[in-house]
Formats: sequence, C-alpha cells, structure tokens
Amino acid sequence: MPKSYKDNEFDVIVIGGGITGAGTARDCAMRGLKVLLIERHDIATGASGRNHGLLHSGARYAVTDRESASECIEENMILRRIASHCVDETDGFFITLPEDDLEYQAKFVESCTAAGIRAEIIDPEEARRLEPSVNPDLIGAVRVPDGSVDPFRLCAANMLDAKLHGAKVLVHTEVTEIIKEGDTVLGVRTVDHVSGGAQEWYAPVTVNAGGIWGHGIAEMAGVQVGMFPAKGALLIFAHRVNNIVINRCRKPANADILVPGDTVCIIGTTSTRVPYEECDNMKVTPEEVDLLLTEGAKLAPSLATTRILRAYAGVRPLVSADNDPTGRNISRGIVCLDHEERDGLKGFVTITGGKLMTYRLMAEKAADVVCRKLGLERACQTAVTPLPGSELGGFRETVKKLWTMPTTYQKATTSRAGASARNIEKGVGLVCECEEVSSGEVDYAIRNLDVHSLTDLRRRTRVGMGTCQGELCACRAAGMLAAAHGCAERARDDMREFMNERWKGNRPIAWGDTLRECEFTNWIYNHVLGL
Amino acid sequence: MKFQVIIIGGGLAGLTAGLSLQKKGVSCAIISSGENALHFSSGSFSGDCPEEVVPLFAEAGVVLKGNPAKDSWRFTPSGSMQKVRLAFEDVTLYEEDKIKASKVLIANPEGFIDFPTAFIADGLSQQGVSCKVKSFSLPCLKTLRESPSEMRSVGIAKKLDCRINEVAGAIHKLLDGEDLVVLPQVFGLTSPEPVRALRDAVPAEISFIGTMPPSVPGIRVQMQLKKAFEKAGGTFLMGDTAVSAEISDGTVRFIRTRNLDSHILTADNYILASGTFFSKGLSSTMQKIYEPLFGLDVDCPTERTQWYSEDVFAPQPYMAAGVVTDADLHPLKDGQPVTNLFAAGSILAGEKNAGMALTSTFKVVKKIAL
Repeated sequence: MPKSYKDNEFDVIVIGGGITGAGTARDCAMRGLKVLLIERHDIATGASGRNHGLLHSGARYAVTDRESASECIEENMILRRIASHCVDETDGFFITLPEDDLEYQAKFVESCTAAGIRAEIIDPEEARRLEPSVNPDLIGAVRVPDGSVDPFRLCAANMLDAKLHGAKVLVHTEVTEIIKEGDTVLGVRTVDHVSGGAQEWYAPVTVNAGGIWGHGIAEMAGVQVGMFPAKGALLIFAHRVNNIVINRCRKPANADILVPGDTVCIIGTTSTRVPYEECDNMKVTPEEVDLLLTEGAKLAPSLATTRILRAYAGVRPLVSADNDPTGRNISRGIVCLDHEERDGLKGFVTITGGKLMTYRLMAEKAADVVCRKLGLERACQTAVTPLPGSELGGFRETVKKLWTMPTTYQKATTSRAGASARNIEKGVGLVCECEEVSSGEVDYAIRNLDVHSLTDLRRRTRVGMGTCQGELCACRAAGMLAAAHGCAERARDDMREFMNERWKGNRPIAWGDTLRECEFTNWIYNHVLGL
Repeated sequence: MKFQVIIIGGGLAGLTAGLSLQKKGVSCAIISSGENALHFSSGSFSGDCPEEVVPLFAEAGVVLKGNPAKDSWRFTPSGSMQKVRLAFEDVTLYEEDKIKASKVLIANPEGFIDFPTAFIADGLSQQGVSCKVKSFSLPCLKTLRESPSEMRSVGIAKKLDCRINEVAGAIHKLLDGEDLVVLPQVFGLTSPEPVRALRDAVPAEISFIGTMPPSVPGIRVQMQLKKAFEKAGGTFLMGDTAVSAEISDGTVRFIRTRNLDSHILTADNYILASGTFFSKGLSSTMQKIYEPLFGLDVDCPTERTQWYSEDVFAPQPYMAAGVVTDADLHPLKDGQPVTNLFAAGSILAGEKNAGMALTSTFKVVKKIAL
C-alpha cells in the first residue's frame, strides 16, 4: 500500500546543494524515495563550484593514494557516459621538467597501470606537437585520460533530474535547527531567505551533505565531525591556452594543474589551512597570485603574457578519516557516517570528504545507507542512466541530431545545455556576447532552473563569466529578471551585488587589460547607468 | 611633419583643445587611436564646466543644454536622478531632482534589451509618476532581430534615423494622454536632426535616455567636433597612435606614430590628452601604474593592493591616478616640468569628470594661444 505523506513529510531530507547533495537527491529520487533537498544559497556555491573542473583520471593520486586513484578512474569513465554534455574529453599530460626527477615517471606509470589508469609515455617532441602551449623544455610526458567537467552544469543536471524524479528542491533556504526527539532526528526547521518565511520539514532520515559547512550542520544535530578546511586558490585565464590538461609528473604540489574549460583555462591550486569561521569569505592574496603565475608559467610559458580573468578560492572539506578529532590522519577519501552507529543518533547521516570526481559514488554510498535505514532494498541506477542533457550523447552528436544548420549561439547553447537545448526557444537578442548566451537561454534558465539572482543565472548559463565579466550582460539580464520576478528594486540590488561579486574576483588580478576593462565597467555602471 | 601644436588623444579634451586652438589660428594635429570615452558618454557633463565650451560647441553644431556653473538633474537609465551641469540636446534636464510629468510612456523598440525599462519604470513610480512600458516595432527592425548581435543602439539608429515619420506614427498609436515619452538614445547617429524631427512630430515632451554602450549621441558629438576641427583646418590622424617620444633638456623634441613610422612629428607645443586606462593614456603592470608615451611622473599608490576599494561602487584609487603637473599644467618627468608639453583631461591625477577635463583644456589653450 502506498504511503501517504503530508506536504512537509518526506522519506529523506538532503542538506546541501553542492554536487554531493544534488547527486544524493538524484540517487534517492531515482530509487523511488520522496526527497527534499535544501540549500541555503544556490547550487554549487561552495567547493563544488570553486575548483579546477578537472575530470581526474586518478593519475594524480596513483602513487600516493591507490584507492582514490581507482575510484577516480571508475567514476571518470562513468561520467563520460552519463554526463557527456558536462564533460570535455581532452586527455591530460603529466610532464617532467628539467628540474624534476625523471625517475619518478617510471614509478608513476607503474602505479597508474596498477590502479587501472591508461598511462602512456610519449616523446617530448610528440607532446609539443600535440599540445603546443606546453613548456618546450620538458624532458618527459605521460598521457592519461584526464578531461574537464563543468561542475555547475553537472550540479544543475543532477538537481534537474532529481526534480524530474519527484524531488522537491529549495534553494536560498537555510536549515536553522535540526528537529530532534530524544536520540532521533525527526527533520529540520528552515528559513526562506527570499520570502523570510520559517518552516518545518520531516523525514525519517536526514542526510548532511553540506561539504565543509557539514561541520556546523553536524554540530546543530549534536554530533561532531572533524573537518579541516583547506583553502585552494585558482586563477582563470581569458583564453583557452591549452587543449590538453597539463600536470607536473611529481609528488602533488602547489599550482601544478592547468585545465582547459570552455573558453578559458584554469591554473591551481594552493593549499592553506584556514579557520572554519573564514570559510564563508575566501579572499585570494597577492602572494597566492604570484605563486600561481610563477608555477603556471612553468607548465605553459604563454600564461605569463595571457590576460587573467579572475582569481577565486574554494575550501576542500577534508575530514579526519578515523574519527580522530585531532586530524592526524586526514584523507581525501569518501567518508560516510551513519550517526546511529557512530554516535547513537538515529535518522542522521553525514556524507563528506571525497572529490567532485567521486560525487556519484559518494551519493550512491549515502543513498545505500538511507535505504538500509528505511529498510528498503533498491538498486542504484545513477551509473548507467544519462543525466538530462546527455541523452543524445556528447556535444557533436547532440548538435548533429538537433539542427541541420545551427547558428553559433545555438551551438554555444548546446555546449552548455546538451540535449535540453531543444527546449530552448530562439531568443531575440544576445544577452552575453562573450559567451554567446541568447535571451532564449536566459529565459529557459529563469523558468526551469531555480534562478533567483544574477549569480544563480551565471552558474547555469555562463552569463557574466566571459572576458567582460558582466560589464554588458549584467544589466541586460537584470532587466529580464526584473520582468520575470516582477520586482525592479530586487533586480537592481541584485545587479549591484553581482557586480561586486565579479569585482571580488577581478581585484586580486586587476592590472593591464583587466584593469582597463574594470575602468570601463565602472564608467558604465556609475556614470551611464547612474547606479 | 611640423605643426604648431600636436595633440595626443581625440576624445573630449583633445577635440576641444584642437577646435579651440584652430579657431584661434594655431595649426594643430590630433592623433586619435579610435574609441574614447565620448563613445560611452552618458550624454551629459558633470563638474564645474567652463563657459567657453557652450559657444565653441554651438559653432560645431553641438547644442549643450543647462548651466555650466549650476547643477541640473538628469534621469538615468537605472531610474535615479543624477546631478549634471550640461547635456546634449537629446537629454531632458530638470531644475530639481524630480521629473516634471504627470503621466509617462516608456517606449522601447521590440527586442531591444540594452535599455532597462523595468528600472526606469520603477524610478518613475518611486517619484509618484504613473507610467507604462510599451514596445513598438517597425518592419525594418525585423532583420536586425534575426541576427542576435545586431539589436544594439547604433544598429537601430542606422535603421530608424531615416524613418522618423514611421517611428512618430508608431509612438502616436501608443500614446494615451501621456505628457512625457521616454525613449532610448537610439536616434541621431550622424546628425541631431532625427532627434529634433521626432520631438516636432510627437505631441508630448520626449526625453532620450542612455542605453548600454555604445552611446549614439556620444558618437555623433565626437564626429561633429572632429568635422568642425577639420573644417577649421586641423589635421586629424585617425586610427593612429603615438608610440614613442624624445625628450631632452626638459623639452619634447619629436614623437613617432604607428602609421607614420618613417616620419617624425614635431611641434612647438604638445598636449597630452590621452585619457586614462581605457584609451591607454595610462597603463599598468602587476607592479605599477605608468604613463607609457613620455614616462611622466604618475601620482598613484605604490602598492597594488592600495589601488582598489572593496566596494566596486565606491571611489577607486586607481581611477584617480594620473600625471602630475606644475601650476601651468606642464607634466613632470623625474620631478622636472617638460616645458613644451601640457596635460589636459582625464590623464591628470585627481578626481575625473567632464567639467574638470574641459576646464584643464581651456586653461592649456589659453597658455598656448595668448
């Protein structure tokens, strides 16, 4: 007999709209559970949207962490199938420079092979031919199946699929309290940041998928999860300098990965321990910019003269692997805690650690625990079912199947939305010229993808991510949001906030042409528009 | 090639200096690399403006409204009221920070997204003025709409300027007792005639409000000033850039440009009106902000972290950077004035606005053509 639910009753509540939460919501929904997903900001606001966008082959961890490496390559192959519209199959190089030890290469290839990662030594000359931007002084290169993945698109597609399977998604809604009765979590109390309204939600199981902020959510539930925030800073360049991911063939270190993504490329990262209290406001320091530029130019010398678009930083949710609160044994592996077994707290699960690459596996593990706790046996389907947008295959196949003579912006739309581009109406104008986003695509996102602000829109469409950093498109898109939401005042405040958010990423790298562009933006918003 | 005065920069300061000097019989050459701040003008000037600018521009066919010494108000595309001194004739100026109208029609070409009608309507209703937003379309705009990147201010102006009667007809149909019509600045690209003709044909006041760039009235005014300068006998080196200069004993000896690289250009006096970062009057690296042509002394914070304010809408120290001069506007190089060089316009260190640009320009003109 089907169970009957009240409006605020669910089988499972997932807290956190990053990739782990979105993946968990999708997995649970596909297993037939009634799911509620709660996110205090927007999708992929935390670490999910602040990384390289690297589709790890696992090679980076092959020597130091065999288990992570094996997980990566398995998930890598799965994402190529289920998320083809989010993935760019670029391959990757691990290069050895004259200052590196070439003997490491043999050990590296051996470890990759043992982990199931195809690793092929290629001649430096061949490497220079395949990737002309690579440092020409390289003395060795290994080719591995790295790629790039758009984390925003991946997160949005998981969220959309969860909704298509009946999940309810609340963005800009913050959990203010975990509702408990004795040793059992019954649900959560939330506040809606748009309307200001408070509400209560109930489910037999609540999953904490808050990434680094899961630390605070666990505390709210009265349990401790030992998190160790590690800040990683990255720089985005205004051109796609390389077409193949470039890594250093040595023990993982700072700023040794250069990833091409869409129209740009990204160098990173640094790694610094930061206090938990600072996680909400990461700033990139001049020292980090210097380090990223110096090390980046060793991978691809032309980076030294390429315009920089932005600097940004994310916080890795590192966890002590063995429940040791001192953090002596920190792992990048997946940590799935059933707090009933660990702390005697019923109805509460934490899924954390892990990486963007292994989000699906994390979600599977969390959903397994949820089902077990609910006494259900339901198989996971996420490894074989394509995400919305990837049903027709990769970008080229999708374009071919949708249009005979696509325009450049239809192609651009398809590169972002995949097969969902067929649902997007032809717009009358380009909102964002840098990234070729049509008004039709903006309209589609506003109507279907939980867009409340310009920043939300940016994550789903790339509006404002291009060379001009919102200079022209922010005002256009704000006008469309004002019309859609029927509130000009909110849209104008939102535009101010958006321009400040863009400025935060420009400031650390504002010199040369970037500073010229910033001055121009300032004229438009302060003088022409009179803000 | 030898001139009496060589002006580096064809923006507001450079053109005003050139036109004014040429009218006084001083032969000038203007080196203009292309786009300048006029192309992104709000259509108005703020800050103390010199009186001389009004008759000088009028001779070039550019009508300036307002009082150079007293603030008026303009209605901005974000719906706010902003203090200005002078404005191009497209703009409507008000004596107080309030729109004078009882009922307003905001009319926008269909599909034009560079004109934030929602903000304008909100600004009007906050002033208690009732308004309606309506769009109009003409067959000639259909082809523009089909190409998503062409529905921009200049593209529309090119289509509409020769069809003012049709536009007036379309607006007439939308009118419902309004006494003010707000339109985007998409009229009058090559002459102010379409703006005037539309005002004559529509039975309500019309206020033309700025769009996202480029600025149609800004481009027009730049062209009018350039034409007037050339008509007065000036030499306008279009699309050329000063790339190097020779200074010895505190005097500029010559300059070279990109297009005329086999020639040196010499003059009795030189005016640096090259603007700020956008027009490359100033450049910056990770380490410093500098003046690239003469290597003049620049006033700005030395540490890069001090160039910026956290709030993008607060005054930004980098935007006040510029060259340092003596009392006669001779820029300093290594602490010493360069005696046959003057600086005018936004290249000067300090607060920047059109009034300050024009005031410094007329001051330089008086020094050169006593």
